[in-house]
Amino acid sequence: MITRRLKRVRNFALAAAMVTIALITSAPALAAGIEIAVGAPEQVSVGQQVEVKAVLSDSGSPVEGAEIALTYQASLAGEFGRVEIATATTDEAGIAILAYQQRADDNGEMQVVYLGPDTDPVEPYVFTIAVGGEPVQLYQLSTGVRIPFINGTLVILIISGVWVLIAMAAIYLVRVGMAGRSQTAVASEDGSMWISVILAAAVVITAVGMVIVFVRAPVANSHVIDPEGYDRTIVNYLDVTYPYDGFGLDDESLAQTGDPIVDGEVLYFQFACAACHGLGGKGAIVAPELVGELGSLGSFTTDVREGPKGMPQYDDATISDENVEKIYTYLDSGG
Amino acid sequence: MDTLTNWQERLISKTTRPTLVTTYKYWIWLGFLVVIVLNAMYQYSRQWTDGLYVTDMRDRISWGLYITAFVFFIGISHAGTLISAILRASKASWRAPVTRIAEFITAVALLVGASFVLIDMGRPERILNVYLHGRWQSPIMWDVMAITTYLTASVIYLYAPMIPDLAMYRDRLTGKVGRVRGFIYQTLSLDWNGTPKQLRLLGKAITIMMLIIIPIAVSVHTVVSWIFSMTLRVGWNTSIFGVLFVAGAIFSGVATLILVMAILRKIYHWEEYLTTKHFLYLGYLLAAFGAFMVYVNINEYLTEGFKLEESGEFAFRQLFVEDFALMFWFYIIGGLIVPVILMLVPKTRTIGGVVAAAILVDLAMFFERYFIVVTGLRVPLMPYEPASYAPTLVEWSIFAGGMAVFCLLITVAIKIFPMFAVWEMTEEYEAAHRDVFASESTEPILADDKTSATAGSPDPSSRTEGGSP
Repeated sequence: MITRRLKRVRNFALAAAMVTIALITSAPALAAGIEIAVGAPEQVSVGQQVEVKAVLSDSGSPVEGAEIALTYQASLAGEFGRVEIATATTDEAGIAILAYQQRADDNGEMQVVYLGPDTDPVEPYVFTIAVGGEPVQLYQLSTGVRIPFINGTLVILIISGVWVLIAMAAIYLVRVGMAGRSQTAVASEDGSMWISVILAAAVVITAVGMVIVFVRAPVANSHVIDPEGYDRTIVNYLDVTYPYDGFGLDDESLAQTGDPIVDGEVLYFQFACAACHGLGGKGAIVAPELVGELGSLGSFTTDVREGPKGMPQYDDATISDENVEKIYTYLDSGG
Repeated sequence: MDTLTNWQERLISKTTRPTLVTTYKYWIWLGFLVVIVLNAMYQYSRQWTDGLYVTDMRDRISWGLYITAFVFFIGISHAGTLISAILRASKASWRAPVTRIAEFITAVALLVGASFVLIDMGRPERILNVYLHGRWQSPIMWDVMAITTYLTASVIYLYAPMIPDLAMYRDRLTGKVGRVRGFIYQTLSLDWNGTPKQLRLLGKAITIMMLIIIPIAVSVHTVVSWIFSMTLRVGWNTSIFGVLFVAGAIFSGVATLILVMAILRKIYHWEEYLTTKHFLYLGYLLAAFGAFMVYVNINEYLTEGFKLEESGEFAFRQLFVEDFALMFWFYIIGGLIVPVILMLVPKTRTIGGVVAAAILVDLAMFFERYFIVVTGLRVPLMPYEPASYAPTLVEWSIFAGGMAVFCLLITVAIKIFPMFAVWEMTEEYEAAHRDVFASESTEPILADDKTSATAGSPDPSSRTEGGSP
């Protein structure tokens, strides 16, 4: 009897152990729940439309109706963070397409993240897409009303017409001179037809020049003529770096002439005081007038160091006391 | 009644008088102008060295007296077009004595006006970029285009009708004037001897220019106004600017013509040719345009003010009751209404009245240009304090220099070029007295200089009437 009871206990224990083992071995699967897999191109170029395909599955079965997002690393004005560039919802096969236009020249680390509806955390899928290729301009005006025949060609035709008439008048004057010359028997000493020829030539040259200026003008308004192939401004290229050269004042010797007023003027520009306080300390939109409002050198130095009312603070590693004094002397002299 | 020949001889002697006789007063006046121009050049050299910083133009108000002067002078240049082309096209017979002066004002004012654009540039050499990289989408580019066209056209339009008069000068004054002027007459008269073929060709040239210069002139000041009204600034963002500017241009052009005529008439005793009738007719034109300007102003400010968008309040306040009120009301009352009244009241319908009206109009139109430029820029686009602008000594000096150059060019031109269209005036005189001269043998005027030379026409200078300038 005892053996039968023991057998039952043993069987139960075995079963429990098996269940436990099964539970333990299957635990990661249960805890992970949803899994994300991603297919993305390895390399894209700026301006290209990119599609990233994500597949969501839960223990091998597709997850339908899940919201996911595509993010990349970005920085703006010294802030770094992740920017969401596309979102999508999975279909019955657990698949979602995340589409975006490549704008940055470097995406950093990209992620496909799970947004919902489940609240359990889902491990994001991390990957990278390299960016390369030729620079392109992304933004072009597409608005405007195109009126048939009212376009740049018409403008140029009208201008040409006006100048043809002016030139005709000038040529009539040449003919006046010619008529006078044939009339005069001894033409040689009276001859003054050349002045009208010069006049007519000047008119024609001006006319041609004017029309050339207009014909050469680059086309930028899409509602007048197609902008195809025309770059509005080169600065708009997104994947090119344009280093800033500054004012050309970074040569330190410029502020060491010996005359504190001259030095102070250079420093006033060098440290961009003029950007807010205006030329010669006369004040501008952002910051007040300095000339005549200076106070003592002590209070001036304090203001430079502490930066009242939102003004940047400049420690003496940036602007030395000596240089503050030079700027003070310059402004004190009337700017 | 004079015979035609006597009348013509007297006209010629009166016309050539400034060329032949120069008094010390002329040199004093010339010296005075040169001093002002030299001072302007010195002040400009300061601007050249130190940059536009020497002006009071800053980030918020970046256009000032220079652009005001530009608009003002381009406006004045419309004198020649209206008087000369429109009156010629409409065959108004009284125009003949005033056309030449008007055409000179046009050419000279255009030169001065256009140079104020260069003066306004901190880096004048960059004007080349307009030609190298110009884009016709820019209203500035339209302006360059329109003014170049207008200047070319008005120089030809000034020159073409002057050719017969220059030939007359060549025939009568060679030997009496210096070699330089002799060469100028010889060269510019284009071997003119008044053959029918030459008359026909010249007539064609004048007709083309006469017809084409009217739309060009209208386009010029319309485009000048578009520099302002193609922007979204409060006060400038209006479709009426083209009309306002063209009407204002003709208005101030006529006023300036009246002033120049009055001065020349006084100095050179041209009372016989520039009669009260001419001043009154020009005065009527002035009054008509004054009334039209009143209408345009009411149309503009009433429609804007009735709706009065939030941003417009500041613009209206500064114009009507605050900083610019004095200027604005002087313009409306002194510059538009009073001149009309002066022409309406019979007692003031005199040369003095017309000249007084013209002075008021020119002053008022200058103020109008000034407050249009400055008030438009003064309206804050963001919540910052409105800026103030007061032209500096440099700006005033250069502006005075521009005025002086304008006077100087006319002063010098008087000594060289015929200020009357003698052949046209003679034609008009002949037409007006045709029945009187019917018995007289109608010798073709200026048709054949050989005959007039061999006929031994008396020395014009010996016939000058009394009264030296």
